Amino acid sequence: MSDKAMNQRRFFPSLGRYATTSTIMPIVATVVVIVVFQILNPAFLSYQGIVTIAYSMSYFLIAACGLTLVIMMGSFDFSVVSVMKLAALLCVMYIGKLGLLVIPFALAICAAIGFVNGVLFAKLKVPSFMATLGISVVIDGIALVLSKGFLMMMNHPGFRSIAVTFILGMPSIFYWAIGTWILCTSIAVITPFGRRTYAIGGNPKAVAISGVNVARHRIVVFVLSSLLAGLAGVLYMSQLGGGSVKIGSDMMIPLFASVVAGGTSLKGGVGGPQRTLLGVIIITWIQSGLLMVGAGRDIQVVVLGIIAIIMTIATTERGKLMRTIVK
Amino acid sequence: MNGPAKQKSSFKNAVQAVKNYPVVLIFLGLLAIFSVLYSQQFLSPINLTATLRQFVTLMLFALGPSIVMVLGSMDLSFIGIWMLGSILLWLLSPIIGPVALLVIPILGVATGFIVGVIHTKGRIPSFILTLSLLITYWGLTVVLAGGYPRSIPGYGFITARLVPRVPTPFFLSIPIVLVAVFISLRTRLGVYFSAIGSNEEGARLAGIDVDKYKILAFTISGAFTGVGSVILFKHLGGSAAVEFNLNNVVRPLVAIILGGTPLVGGSGGPHRTILGVLTFAVLYRGLHLSPLRPELIDLVVGLVLIVSIILSSRGTRMRGVDVT
Repeated sequence: MSDKAMNQRRFFPSLGRYATTSTIMPIVATVVVIVVFQILNPAFLSYQGIVTIAYSMSYFLIAACGLTLVIMMGSFDFSVVSVMKLAALLCVMYIGKLGLLVIPFALAICAAIGFVNGVLFAKLKVPSFMATLGISVVIDGIALVLSKGFLMMMNHPGFRSIAVTFILGMPSIFYWAIGTWILCTSIAVITPFGRRTYAIGGNPKAVAISGVNVARHRIVVFVLSSLLAGLAGVLYMSQLGGGSVKIGSDMMIPLFASVVAGGTSLKGGVGGPQRTLLGVIIITWIQSGLLMVGAGRDIQVVVLGIIAIIMTIATTERGKLMRTIVK
Repeated sequence: MNGPAKQKSSFKNAVQAVKNYPVVLIFLGLLAIFSVLYSQQFLSPINLTATLRQFVTLMLFALGPSIVMVLGSMDLSFIGIWMLGSILLWLLSPIIGPVALLVIPILGVATGFIVGVIHTKGRIPSFILTLSLLITYWGLTVVLAGGYPRSIPGYGFITARLVPRVPTPFFLSIPIVLVAVFISLRTRLGVYFSAIGSNEEGARLAGIDVDKYKILAFTISGAFTGVGSVILFKHLGGSAAVEFNLNNVVRPLVAIILGGTPLVGGSGGPHRTILGVLTFAVLYRGLHLSPLRPELIDLVVGLVLIVSIILSSRGTRMRGVDVT
């Protein structure tokens, strides 16, 4: 009996290490969600259903990857949704003057916002949640001043084709999202940059002592997060071709829920963009599933709020971290 | 002989007071600037009444969260309690009559207790927990209201005018604020709260049951928000809102931070929030008199928030607190 256990341990040395709640929960949840909604509505796994989900998932995945990098580092970026809105708005407003150059212009402004976030947090020692909350209020104000609250439409075929060209049966925004996801995952898993991000999430003091410039690293990660949020906003606008400043004002909770549902703990140091893919699938599937079943946006909000709380509890590792101070 | 010395010490006291409460300077400065710039409108009775109304709204919203912020935690659920409580009142008051008013404080206490328990036992950061709860409550409110704002008839006594030009909710809020100040300054609870905020591990080692007092703090915060919401639902128009506005959440936070309760906790409390709210109300009314457009006012409020947070977290570097 003990021999058998020994053998098992020898044959699968890494399996036990990875079989924690925060790894298994998202996989089980994904399967359960897909099966439940498939039974409720068999049209889900048709070609049309998958294209619909790919549309609603893609820009969401890009923004969630950026947020994951920040949460992995033990911080929080509240301004993701506002940056997305601003990038989308800038595209609509200036495409007439700048043409396709509007995309680098919008991304540069988003990166600048990320830089301000990072400096506020890393240099001026403002807790990241409050810093980004303040910045997002300012960005919302700027967006309102710029757009005067009007609905804006655009019709620039070159810009629209970035997201809605079909390649191999899938819209191109889907490939953008997968590409971004692979890029983020490789940054987080392979590069020293990613390893440092995990390490700062685990113990920033130890990383600082071992010679890493923690403040600069934090700023870079915040710039990355805002840049990805900006990219998501640009692609979103390219997909829809219009919208008002009101778009996605309640998107923060689904975004946060999908990062946490994937298994990235708010404590930092655990998870990563590779897991966020599952989280995004879970959340978008639930959102579209509830819509198909006939539940309105309000019930979605309630369900996603509760999921966010439950998932946060479920993905927090107990045990050693028990004595960590939680603010 | 005694005169000059006494005068000097009182001058020193004044300097010390300004050092402790730098917001007083900002308040007086704003008061002076606006009185000079818009002397006609700013000191008019109508504007003073409007300032008082703004003061009551912000004070009652900020009271609970400012107690929690002393512990270094964050309670954003207050708008949720106000929204869901109002809609429950709308549902229940035709059935059980005026007793239904009790439902808002009960909801507040229950919410605070649940938040406290999940925060301490589930080890979730409080800001994200209360944010999720706030959004959940908002969704529930919309579901229960059927998507439309509902007006709640009756309960006119809350806003019935007693003294000309002074809104009655102002008088009603005085005892509530006094109780909060008493708790944080004159009871053991207040001392424990600051102790936990300034050094949680130290407080634990000194024998304070940190989890218990954290749950208590959130429960007290929920109770104050609940009692405040009883006044606020009538004060803010006597109807149950279904529209979620981030500004409602941010403005009380600005007031708390302006008052001088740092985000990392350890000092401050409701007595400082009074000053912060007063300053913010004056600033807000002054901005409204100015030729700025409403959306620009939002921008200014955001900038004030950022600047005051930067100023209030200046001291944290020395104390070795790790910012997240």
